[in-house]
Amino acid sequence: MRDRFAISMLTVAIAAASVGAVISASITHTSGQAPITRPATVGGKPNFSGIWQANNEANWDLQAHAARPAAVTQEGVYPYEYARVPAAPVLALGAAGAVPGSLGVVQGDGEIPYKPEALQKKKENADHWIDRDPELKCYLPGIPRAMYMPHPFQITQSTNKIHFAYSFSNSARTIHTDKVEGPPDDTWMGHSVGRWEGDMLVVDVTHFNDRAWFDRAGNHHSDALKLVERFTLKSPDVIWYDVTIEDPNVFTKPWRIAMPLYRRAEPNMQLLEFRCNEFAEEFMYGHLRKQPLVKHWEGETMTIDITRKIPPGDQFYQWYSR
Amino acid sequence: MRDRFLSSVATVAITAAAIGAVVAVLGTQTSAQGPAALKTAWGEPDLQGIWTVEYDTPLQRSPRFANQESFSEEQRAEFDRVRSQNRGRDERGARGSELDVAGAYNDEFGAMKRTGKRTSALIDPPNGRIPPTTPEAQKIAATDRELRLALMQATQTCKLGLPGCAGGKFDPTPTSRRLEQPARYNTARMNRHDGPEDGALADRCLTIGLPEFGAGNGGGSFRRIVQTPGGIAMYYDVGQGQGWQRNIIMDGRPHLPASVRQWYGDSRGRWEGDTLVIDVTNFSPKTDYQGARENLHLVERWRRTGPSSLEYIVTIEDPTVWTRPWTAKQEFTRQSDQDNRLYNEPRCIEGNYGHPGLIRGARIEELAYAEGRGPHPATKDNATDFVGVEDDPLQ
Repeated sequence: MRDRFAISMLTVAIAAASVGAVISASITHTSGQAPITRPATVGGKPNFSGIWQANNEANWDLQAHAARPAAVTQEGVYPYEYARVPAAPVLALGAAGAVPGSLGVVQGDGEIPYKPEALQKKKENADHWIDRDPELKCYLPGIPRAMYMPHPFQITQSTNKIHFAYSFSNSARTIHTDKVEGPPDDTWMGHSVGRWEGDMLVVDVTHFNDRAWFDRAGNHHSDALKLVERFTLKSPDVIWYDVTIEDPNVFTKPWRIAMPLYRRAEPNMQLLEFRCNEFAEEFMYGHLRKQPLVKHWEGETMTIDITRKIPPGDQFYQWYSR
Repeated sequence: MRDRFLSSVATVAITAAAIGAVVAVLGTQTSAQGPAALKTAWGEPDLQGIWTVEYDTPLQRSPRFANQESFSEEQRAEFDRVRSQNRGRDERGARGSELDVAGAYNDEFGAMKRTGKRTSALIDPPNGRIPPTTPEAQKIAATDRELRLALMQATQTCKLGLPGCAGGKFDPTPTSRRLEQPARYNTARMNRHDGPEDGALADRCLTIGLPEFGAGNGGGSFRRIVQTPGGIAMYYDVGQGQGWQRNIIMDGRPHLPASVRQWYGDSRGRWEGDTLVIDVTNFSPKTDYQGARENLHLVERWRRTGPSSLEYIVTIEDPTVWTRPWTAKQEFTRQSDQDNRLYNEPRCIEGNYGHPGLIRGARIEELAYAEGRGPHPATKDNATDFVGVEDDPLQ
């Protein structure tokens, strides 16, 4: 069995070499298994295959922001924006519900060039994050958001198709470097057509719907969205990802985001399922239960029961009263 | 030329669908590719492309064809004629009645393909039948069925002896077991909608995993395979926006730890000559394939048999459910890459008004009953679909 595997890997290596590839990456398992070989090129183009993940705060907010206590806050004892406290729906998470700070990924002056009415909508979106962000309902993340969610994704690069499989909610897209028809209708994930400019993969993404968001901060677009993505392999384990974003319905001019994507270099890394639908059922349908478990509606008001039974010994002030 | 051919086939197909006939099949590639085209640029067998099943083949062989492995051409033509006239799904109940609503998925959703050559997809056991289940599995199935039938007993469906009540009997008194939870995690529709978990996995956008034969109603399924040296991605476009994907681990490492369970299992592949062999384990106890759950074990064999054909043979094993392993074979046909008719958007949950509607509807019925405005909710059948059930000549 091992011999057969070794022979087939050798065949792959020879075949790869014969089409002009160079074996660059070789990771030896500590358990003594056969090494993984990943040719540096596929069909003479840089090989982006593997499992990748952004390691930044862009999914919280594309723009520069200080850390804040929660994604949804309410006014505290001061009237200042910077002194707000977590709002009830996320309070039970404590500091785990806080939003980490970031210098942002928006290029240039860091501003998103919204039209005035679109900026107003962004602010309303942020105020109603829980009700409006598609991520919370497991709707598809769209592009570019799928690229920097806190979930890994896998690239499988062939000669005419480059497939992206995202862990989040089974979302996926295929980048076509050959000629194909577009989808018959608008989509969350867009229609991706790629071309090579030297060693850079350039992808035009079109056919979007107007429902996906860029982040949890309420940044949004219309169905006129057009992206130009640029993928550059900076090193075997880092992709530089740069996106030009154009949407004349929402923005006054094109703007760009850019960030590194890192290889998940664990030898045993694999893409596991994140079957999101299941996790959102209580959130979406919990109030319809015969016997409510966590939330219920009265008229137009939803109540989430965050009453918690705290085990003896774990109550926060017990140490204080001792 | 090819484009024109395809679009004329498409026109025929649309016309055929409109008159309720068997839907013609799209995109068979007839170009003469040599054997060289069946390898990738790096020398592996090339399984890439969009693949689907173009013919209907029953999973099991009907006892009526017990000694017959293949249908004759005359039989196939006759079955196509009979099946295209089966318009059961388009029969309507009395306007405004629950029966009428139950027929919402009409004949357009249940389009049929042409009858295939073989009398069963099953190739082992040789009789084309799924092997007998174990006594333990029979007991589990009986327990499950008892509760489902109890929840049905006071309905019209049982009173009229319709197929949805098969094995049960009518009792005008609602069951006292109404609040009982099933012994195992529920995966199928039951006549109770106390919460999301009472819905079938299909109602919850949580269905259609492995094994996937590419058959079934609604036009079947499509799968796109993309390969890279040492890696294989498969995207399944199945059900109504319940698409999902697998990324086959090809480096010989062992399966996931037993504590990690997945809806689509854990796939480990290797090449045996020109055949891609995938071993699948680690299924979640929330899945159910003919009674098999976390102990389901599949060995799939994928082999390119020609420019436009891909053979899929799967051996299905679960010693807690079946007395022996069994094997089925399916033939996939390559679809036009350029037409790109594969839907990469698993959006089922977004358009799923039916599932919350069933739960909300149950609350409304309960309220109406409590206020003396409606019948006892347990006398309503909100589970079975008894419109247009008719004999399938292939079964």
